[in-house]
Amino acid sequence: MPDLIIDGRPVRVPKGTPVIAAAESLGIVIPRFCWHPALGAAGACRMCAVMFLDGPVKGLEMSCMVPAADGMVVETFHPEAVTFRRRVVELLMANHPHDCPVCDEGGHCLLQDETISGGHALRRFPGRKRTYLDQDLGPFIQHEMNRCIHCYRCARFYQEYCGYLDFGPMQNANRVYFGRFASGPLESPFSGNLADICPTGTLTDKPGRYKSRRWDCQRAPSVCPHCSLGCATVALSRYREVVRVEARENPAVNGHFICDRGRYSFGYAASAERPRQARADGVPTSMSTALALAGTRLGGVVEAFGPEAVAVVGSARSSLETQTALTALARAGGWRGPAFFADRTEQQAVAAALAALAGGRARSLAEIGQADAVLCLGVSPLHDAPMLALSLRQAARAGAVVAVADPRPATLPLPFTHLPLAPDKLPGAAALLTGAEAADAAAIQRALPLSPELWPALERLAPAFAAAGNPVLVFAPALAAQAPADARFGLFPVLCGPNAAGAALVADADAPACDDLARAIEAGEVKGLVLAEADAAALSPRLAAALPGLETLVVLDHLPTPSFAAAKVFLPTQTLFESGGTLCNNEARLQYAAPVAPPGEPVSRDGRGGHPPRDYARKLPGTDPLPAAALCAVLALEMGLDMPALSFAAFTGVGPEDVAPEGTRATRLPAAPTAPAPPSAPPGQGLVVVRDDALFATDAYGRYAPLARAQAPAASVVRLHPDDAAGLGLADGEALTVTVGDRRIEATLAVSAAVARGAAVVPRLPGWAGLPAAIGPETLRRRQP
Amino acid sequence: MSLPDAVVAEIDGVIAAVEHHKREAAVDVMYALQRHYGYLCDEAMHYASKALDMTTLELESLATFYDYLYRRPVGRYVIHVCDSVVCWMFHQDSIFDYLCRKLGVPPGGTTEDGMFTVLPAACIGNCHNAPSMLINGRFYDRLTAERIDAVLAELRQSAEEPVRCK
Amino acid sequence: MQVETPLVLLKNRHLGRPATFEEYRAGGGYEALIATVGKRTPAEVLQLVLDADLRGRGGAGFPAGKKWQGIPAGYVGPRYVVVNTDEMEPGTFKDRILVNTDPHLVIEGIILCAYAVQATEGVCFIRPSYESDAVLIEEQSQVARDHGLLGDNILGSGFSFDIHVHRSAGRYICGEASAQIKAISGLRPNPRKGGPRTSVKGLWDCPTIVNNLETLANLPGIVRNGPDWFKSLARSAGGSGTKLFSVSGRISRPGCYELPIGTPLREILDHAGGMPPGRVLKAVIPGGASTPFMPDKYLDLEMDFEPMKRAGQRFGTASIMVFDQNTCLVGATLNLMEFFTRESCGWCTPCREGLPYVRHLLRLIEGGQGEEEHIGMIKDMAQAMRSAYCAFAPGAAEPLLSLFEYFEPEVREHLRQKRCPFGNPPPAMRGKACGTRPPTFGPTPCPEDQCPI
Ligand SMILES: Cc1cc2nc3c(=O)[nH]c(=O)nc-3n(C[C@H](O)[C@H](O)[C@H](O)COP(=O)(O)O)c2cc1C
Ligand code: SF4
Ligand code: SF4
Ligand code: SF4
Ligand code: FES
Ligand code: FES
Repeated sequence: MPDLIIDGRPVRVPKGTPVIAAAESLGIVIPRFCWHPALGAAGACRMCAVMFLDGPVKGLEMSCMVPAADGMVVETFHPEAVTFRRRVVELLMANHPHDCPVCDEGGHCLLQDETISGGHALRRFPGRKRTYLDQDLGPFIQHEMNRCIHCYRCARFYQEYCGYLDFGPMQNANRVYFGRFASGPLESPFSGNLADICPTGTLTDKPGRYKSRRWDCQRAPSVCPHCSLGCATVALSRYREVVRVEARENPAVNGHFICDRGRYSFGYAASAERPRQARADGVPTSMSTALALAGTRLGGVVEAFGPEAVAVVGSARSSLETQTALTALARAGGWRGPAFFADRTEQQAVAAALAALAGGRARSLAEIGQADAVLCLGVSPLHDAPMLALSLRQAARAGAVVAVADPRPATLPLPFTHLPLAPDKLPGAAALLTGAEAADAAAIQRALPLSPELWPALERLAPAFAAAGNPVLVFAPALAAQAPADARFGLFPVLCGPNAAGAALVADADAPACDDLARAIEAGEVKGLVLAEADAAALSPRLAAALPGLETLVVLDHLPTPSFAAAKVFLPTQTLFESGGTLCNNEARLQYAAPVAPPGEPVSRDGRGGHPPRDYARKLPGTDPLPAAALCAVLALEMGLDMPALSFAAFTGVGPEDVAPEGTRATRLPAAPTAPAPPSAPPGQGLVVVRDDALFATDAYGRYAPLARAQAPAASVVRLHPDDAAGLGLADGEALTVTVGDRRIEATLAVSAAVARGAAVVPRLPGWAGLPAAIGPETLRRRQP
Repeated sequence: MSLPDAVVAEIDGVIAAVEHHKREAAVDVMYALQRHYGYLCDEAMHYASKALDMTTLELESLATFYDYLYRRPVGRYVIHVCDSVVCWMFHQDSIFDYLCRKLGVPPGGTTEDGMFTVLPAACIGNCHNAPSMLINGRFYDRLTAERIDAVLAELRQSAEEPVRCK
Repeated sequence: MQVETPLVLLKNRHLGRPATFEEYRAGGGYEALIATVGKRTPAEVLQLVLDADLRGRGGAGFPAGKKWQGIPAGYVGPRYVVVNTDEMEPGTFKDRILVNTDPHLVIEGIILCAYAVQATEGVCFIRPSYESDAVLIEEQSQVARDHGLLGDNILGSGFSFDIHVHRSAGRYICGEASAQIKAISGLRPNPRKGGPRTSVKGLWDCPTIVNNLETLANLPGIVRNGPDWFKSLARSAGGSGTKLFSVSGRISRPGCYELPIGTPLREILDHAGGMPPGRVLKAVIPGGASTPFMPDKYLDLEMDFEPMKRAGQRFGTASIMVFDQNTCLVGATLNLMEFFTRESCGWCTPCREGLPYVRHLLRLIEGGQGEEEHIGMIKDMAQAMRSAYCAFAPGAAEPLLSLFEYFEPEVREHLRQKRCPFGNPPPAMRGKACGTRPPTFGPTPCPEDQCPI
């Protein structure tokens, strides 16, 4: 712990801290461009020069390059340092286009800040400015090379930190150009971070371009709802429309970055299809009418069939507040539910996954980056939880071994071993790598007799995992039983849905699941259903099929799902951007997303050609939606129910007031329930169905976000192992017709050895939800031309 | 246009020689393709990318860094005229101008017959024979207008048909 | 008066062509190697080099033995020797002469170095204009291999080491040691500072010794004749060995001269035939383009690292460029800045942006459009260039700052006369087009004949 003095103030910092960071801990912000806490020092911009007066380093040096050391005396405002920094800004500005008025970075631009702080106000250089041609970098990032100050942050982030090699520096000397070989979309699923990390307006957020000055936006800390990791974000709203999502630093979770799914899937909130008005029997009506009608209808069901005839369904995408309110409502009415999961096995699995975290076994996303061996079991990092891939890369850069045992083809920007194994083989593979002793060749061959091609890799991996001091098992809930007893192993479940953990904590252990409710509807036991922020079709096809048997269906939502269309009474709810709310991520960390703006039809659509709207007296359009929790309370009131005051603290052990900015882990985890039986081989000849996410538009919200949907693959793809394809007489690239229930879906076949034998990998989309657990030739058929 | 077997074999050989560190062959592979195509056309870059398991961007970031890799068409003979200080002392600029005037091209330009490209070059390590230029790995010493005429005439004589990108 | 001095490195120069293996052998070549491999310990060879006080000939003058000691003791795994034959510093051509005189002297030197540091592989990094030298080294290494002096199990000693040539595609910055390692690795040759030294983590992350080719060519002599002999070759107190001086510019017999270290400039110029008739010496650049102008008052300064450093001068690569009374030093400096601007790697601000800045102002001054304030601006930026990332821009600042230190009146004469007092035509305000970069990339498409930046 070196002790040093910066600007006359003593400071003690951990060994290895650069002087620039040591100064920052004192609140002294030394000017910088290339240094970034996540990327480290580059020494390229020379903006952070300070004077070292005493200690092991003397003279003018870069504070980002010099690690703090005992006895250092540093002066940031020494005249020589100030003069040097002024020269550096002068040089950077010599070629800068000064186009701040039309630059999206304007006002939150580091170059503007440092130009002022550097004291460079008047141009003395008489020469011309260098100009560049720009490239089209795809839908997310706008390129404006003339503004570049060549700090190399983008390239270091893109290539070194993320491991993608289609963007970077070209040319030399004062021609250096940051771009791609040719115009075209950036390949990295983390490309959006370039807009955050570029200190100038060279790389800016394209979808949000020209929508607003940043400081004119309403901004609030938010939490990403597009997978279970819960990365920290900042939501920016302008003119009643979320226009941009940026990464927010959370050292315990996502560090400084988020993935492109998380950044570009916000469009569901302002989508034109979003239902914003209440409906009664399909006809738009006022909120109060609809609420009254919902009360009457549900009351009628209770009167005729008893309270047990009403059931409540929630989902893993609602906030804890909503999930808690639904529970309170169901309890008040004596109704069934709420059900949050498709079936009991899933609910038990998620509960078991959380239970396993007890005793300090939970690891955060940041801690994955420090692991020395990681096994992903039944998890495909880039698709199930994109930022996990970035943490795995940091671990791999530091020398960790990474293995992915998963039936789906996996690509990752790091060296890793893929073990394509069908779900029923995963427990065996896990046992080989999570034992205290390295499994020997014989054990490997015994465990996986039919996969000789994987033996050499496993023989390499087994000793590495056995020797690891800080290994982590990343697992899907269905494999919770595989969590090793060996306390060396940290645990990191990846769940399905941003608040799946919340749902599992809130749900009663004996709560019905959707399938149970479907059965009850079919049996005529349930006649009224409240479906809150849940799409029956995606959640449980069986439930969706049973809906017509209901007398009344009350739907609360902000997404235009098929359930919304089926609703008898529809009550519009607010999104997380509007109501705020608490989400519990995969490691049981509660995080609060603050509301950023009230709901309302975006001004861009509301202007009706005239701007600004002249009709000052009218009510703002689209402002009906209320938080789902509030709607529950009003509904209870309508029905004369006495809704208990319930806080999610009752389920998580953490109350709303206890949620820290970096999140707080739930203190009440499910008491170790019996973990569900591991996946078993499908009976007979069938191929077990494995669902695969895409980067975009397979998550519940992304499916309704226009920009995310535009990135989704145009055609659905079914993936098979070559042996299985041959068995079915199908060839790579063939057009297929897939039978799902009574519907037929068109798809293309992709054959690859990266798919596990015995697995059929299909997209995780609602349309495919109705596939049985195993399928065969009657389901996958060559499309007749 | 597919590559002749000899070029493929040369590239494979270059890569095989540095087997464990394929990237080391990047410049050599690009040289080989440049000799074949005359310059590094996009087709050549894509071929190199596949051969080396490097992205086209990675190769572009090298090709455009260096002086002797050409990403634009050049003539059969690339004349690297030294314009560094010792040659400059001997009125190198006028040599440069003479060459350009004689060939009817600006610096960096290529003659219409596709025979010559004139490029400014950093000191070529022949300062004791200044002013100097380099063509196809050969030094030409103590240049004068007459000597340049002679050299150009000689090169025109020996010219063979250059290989071009489609 | 010319004194005959013994030739060590260039003793086979009289042949007028590269000496063959047999010729080299006949002169005692490879004796050092034969007496060393398997007979001396690597530590003994290292000690000889330390005692000989062999300093690097690539410009920085770092003691070779001390560099070799940087390899972590007990390191297991590949180690590399990189032979720096980039030699792109204007005015420098000594390595080319040396290889072409006695390729086996160089090869033996490389092997001795490899033995001392127990390297497994050597890489000769060669600039594109030296293609014939690359071929020469490849051919002659094969000869050495055929004689069992290179490759597997050298002389049956169990020591294995081989050399291959890495062809560069040409940029001055590739001469910088860490940039060179990146260039060999197929990465952009931006230098690397901070973090472990290359002797700890270099090529392919293994310990790597980068030495100039001339440095290594001194090893056979040192090993054969001993450190005392090597030190006795020098004329300066504390100096050691001979040195190849590349002499060019306005001098009667430009060329490469091997002379004792510490030989005064005046004598070196005498060896090169002195000033041509009618020419008077104004200044030299003594050690390649990144050393300062040295005015004639230093004619009797001993050309050696320490004496020159004490005089505020730099020995550099001992590449002496001679400027006469009729040569405009503003023009010369401008030319140097054009070179540095073009060759920069583009990593750090003082270099990437600072060089074009001073270049533009020098163009204005040389063209008669200079203003008084430009002088201060140039000095400001030259000062800033000294705090660049690597030694490239500080090197460029040397001639620039010395122009003002010794020849500011000549600069001011340009301002006063509003033209070059030596009658040079105004320089082009824009650079020459490179012609080979992708036109759709980077800068606005080049106008027909000029570089836009
Ligand atoms: C910009 C720059 C260019 C250089 N060019 C060369 C070069 O062409 N040849 C060389 O031997 N050393 C060159 N050097 C010096 C090398 O970095 C390194 O110090 C040298 O190769 C070490 O060898 P030595 O100790 O034997 O001199 C250069 C240094 C810099 C900063
Ligand atoms: S594009 Fe932005 S991040 Fe990249 S070098 Fe330029 S200023 Fe820096
Ligand atoms: S990894 Fe998940 S939580 Fe994080 S930004 Fe991406 S989708 Fe959102
Ligand atoms: S001084 Fe900076 S820009 Fe110049 S060569 Fe060195 S690192 Fe590159
Ligand atoms: S921040 Fe230190 S050099 Fe850029
Ligand atoms: S300056 Fe022209 S060859 Fe060296």
